[in-house]
Amino acid sequence: MITRQLGSEVRWMLRRPRTLIGLFGLVLVPIVISFGIWTAGEDGGGGPGLSAIIQGNGLVVPIFTLFLSLNLLLPLVASIWAADGLAGEAQHGTLRGLLVAPVSRVRLLFVKLFGLAAMSLFAVTLMAVVGIIAGTAFLGSDGMATLSGTTLSTGEGLVRIALFVVLVTFQMVSVGAVALAVSATTEHPLVVQAATMVTIIVFQVLGQFSSLDWLHPFLITTGFPGLVDVMRDPIPWDQIGDSTLLAGCYLLIGTGLAAIRLVTKDS
Amino acid sequence: MTTSTSAPVTAPAKTAVAARTRGLRKEYGSTVAVDRVDLEVPEGAVLGMLGPNGSGKTTTIRMLLGLVRPTQGEIELLGRPLPDGAEQSLPHVGALVEGPGFHPFLSGRENLVRCAAFEPLLPRKEIKQAVEDAIERVGLAQAAHRRYRGYSLGMKQRLGLAAALLVPRKLVVLDEPTNGLDPAGTREIRRIIADLHAAGSTVVVSSHLLSEVEATCTHVAVLHRGTVVAQGELTELLQAGGSALQVITPDVEKALSALRQAKISARPLGDGLRVELAGTSAPQVIETLVKGEARVFEATRWKTGLEELFARLTEAEEAERGMSAVDTLDGGRR
Ligand SMILES: Nc1ncnc2c1ncn2[C@@H]1O[C@H](COP(=O)(O)OP(=O)(O)OP(=O)(O)O)[C@@H](O)[C@H]1O
Ligand SMILES: [Mg+2]
Repeated sequence: MITRQLGSEVRWMLRRPRTLIGLFGLVLVPIVISFGIWTAGEDGGGGPGLSAIIQGNGLVVPIFTLFLSLNLLLPLVASIWAADGLAGEAQHGTLRGLLVAPVSRVRLLFVKLFGLAAMSLFAVTLMAVVGIIAGTAFLGSDGMATLSGTTLSTGEGLVRIALFVVLVTFQMVSVGAVALAVSATTEHPLVVQAATMVTIIVFQVLGQFSSLDWLHPFLITTGFPGLVDVMRDPIPWDQIGDSTLLAGCYLLIGTGLAAIRLVTKDS
Repeated sequence: MTTSTSAPVTAPAKTAVAARTRGLRKEYGSTVAVDRVDLEVPEGAVLGMLGPNGSGKTTTIRMLLGLVRPTQGEIELLGRPLPDGAEQSLPHVGALVEGPGFHPFLSGRENLVRCAAFEPLLPRKEIKQAVEDAIERVGLAQAAHRRYRGYSLGMKQRLGLAAALLVPRKLVVLDEPTNGLDPAGTREIRRIIADLHAAGSTVVVSSHLLSEVEATCTHVAVLHRGTVVAQGELTELLQAGGSALQVITPDVEKALSALRQAKISARPLGDGLRVELAGTSAPQVIETLVKGEARVFEATRWKTGLEELFARLTEAEEAERGMSAVDTLDGGRR
C-alpha cells in the first residue's frame, strides 16, 4: 500500500508541467556554465578558487553547478514542491480526498516528504549528470583537479561528485521540510514559496554581518559553502559534518512542525 | 454486517446506525458554525440534509468525515468513534464534499487513478477496472481522457461522484451533488442514489433542491443556524407537519375573532385563513367558524410538502413575528 502511494506521489509530481519546466531549467545551468567557461577561453581564468581551476576540468562543472545552485535555485525548486505538496493540494481540494480515502495525516506527511526527497535526488542527479556530460564535452576531462592542488582519477572524481550530490540533496530536502511546515499552514502555494525564499535570502544576508557571528552557526545557509570540501584531497570532514548535522536539525524541526500542524488541521 | 477489515470489532453498534453525532459543536474563532447537533443516520437510509445557506450542513459533514475536528461532541462512524477509528471506518465511506477537488493538469481518468491509489480497499490490479467502472457509472466516458482543467461544472461534479464510488461503499456522503448538473444529470444522481439505496448502502445527501430530497430520501434532517431543528423519517415528518386547514371566507375578521375565542391558532392567507390543527380538529374549526357567523365557502386540508415544512422550520422566527399581530392564540392570552 505504502509503495503504491509513494509511487503515485512521484508520478504525480513528474506529471506536473511546473516540475518539467523546473527540471528543464535546472538542466540548463550546467550547460550554460560549461558553455560560458568554454567561450571565455584561456584568458578568462586566473583568480583563485573554484572557477579558476575549472578550465580543462570538465568534472568540476557538476560540482560548481550544484554549488552555485544551492544558494537559490535548489531551495526555490524544493519550496515549489513543498508548496504544491500540501498547500497546493489544499487549494485544489484534493487534500480532502486524500484524507477521507483515508490516508492518515502522519502517513500523508511521510508520503510528501518522500516525494520531495525522491524528486530532489532526481533533480540534483540530473544536474550532475548533465554537468559531467557538458563539462566533458566543452572542457575535456583529465581526472579532477582538487582545491588542494592534486588531481584525482576520473573514477575518484565521479565518486566525489556522487558524494556531493548526496550532500546537496540532503540540504535541499531540509529546506523543503521547513517549507512543508509552512505548506501545512496555508492554502496558498505562493505564500510557501515566498516565505521560503525570503528566509533563505535573509539568512544569507545575516551571514554577511560579522557582528552577528553568534547567529551564524544556526543558519542553514552558513553550511552551504563548507560542502565544497569534497573537492579537497584528502577530504576534511568536519565542515561537511557540521553542515549536514545542521541540515538534519532543520529537517527534524521542519518535519515535526509540519506533523503537529497537519494532525490538528481542519480541511 | 461482515467487513473485510481484519481489525477486531471493538464495540458493535447498539442499534443499526451508520453514523451518529452527539452534542457536536464547532467554533471558527468567534463564529459558532454548528452547535448541539445530534444527528442519527440509520443504516440503509437515504438521509437528506436540508438547511439554508450557512446553516452548518457542510461543517457537519466535514466533521462526520474527520476532516474537521469538532470543538465539542462525539462522532461515531460505522460503529467506530472518530477520529480514532477513522482508519477502519473511512475506507467504507465515499464522499463528495464542497465541490469536487482534482488536479487541473491531469485528465479525469488520471485523477481517478490517483484517488484509487490511495483507496485501502482497492487491490492494485483492480484499480484500472474500478476507474473505468466509475467513469461509466457517472456518464463521463466521453470526457475521461480530457484534462480536468477543461471540464464543465457538471463534468467536474460527475468526476467527484465517480471518486466517491470507486469502491463499493457502506456509506456515501454527498454534499450538494446536483450542484451545476443539467436535468439529465440530476436524474442520474437520483438514479445513482436509488441504486446505492437498493444495494444496501447508506446515503447522506445535502441539497437545496427540496423536490429532489422529497423524491429520493427516506429520512431528512433539517438544520437551521447550526442546529438540527427536525429529523426523522420523511413520511412521519410530513404527517406531523400536515395539520392545517385552508378556509376560504369573506369574513376574515369575524372568523379570526371566533377562532381566537376558541384558542385556535390562525392567520389570514389568500381569500381566507389558514388554521393550525394542533390541538383541535377540522370539524371543531368549522363549527367554531359557523357559530361565529363567518361564512365558509370552502375548507381544505392543507397537504404539507417538504417545501412548506422546510419553510416553517427555518423561517420559524420570522413567521412568528409576522403572525403575532394577528395570531389568535397569543392575542387571546394577552
Ligand atoms: N473555515 C471556516 N472558517 C470560518 N467560518 C466558517 C468556516 N467554515 C464554515 N464557517 C461558517 O460556519 C457556518 C456554517 O457553514 P457551512 O458551510 O457548514 O454551511 P452550509 O449549510 O454548508 O451552507 P451552504 O448551503 O451555503 O453550503 C457559516 O456561518 C460559515 O460562515
Ligand atoms: Mg455547504
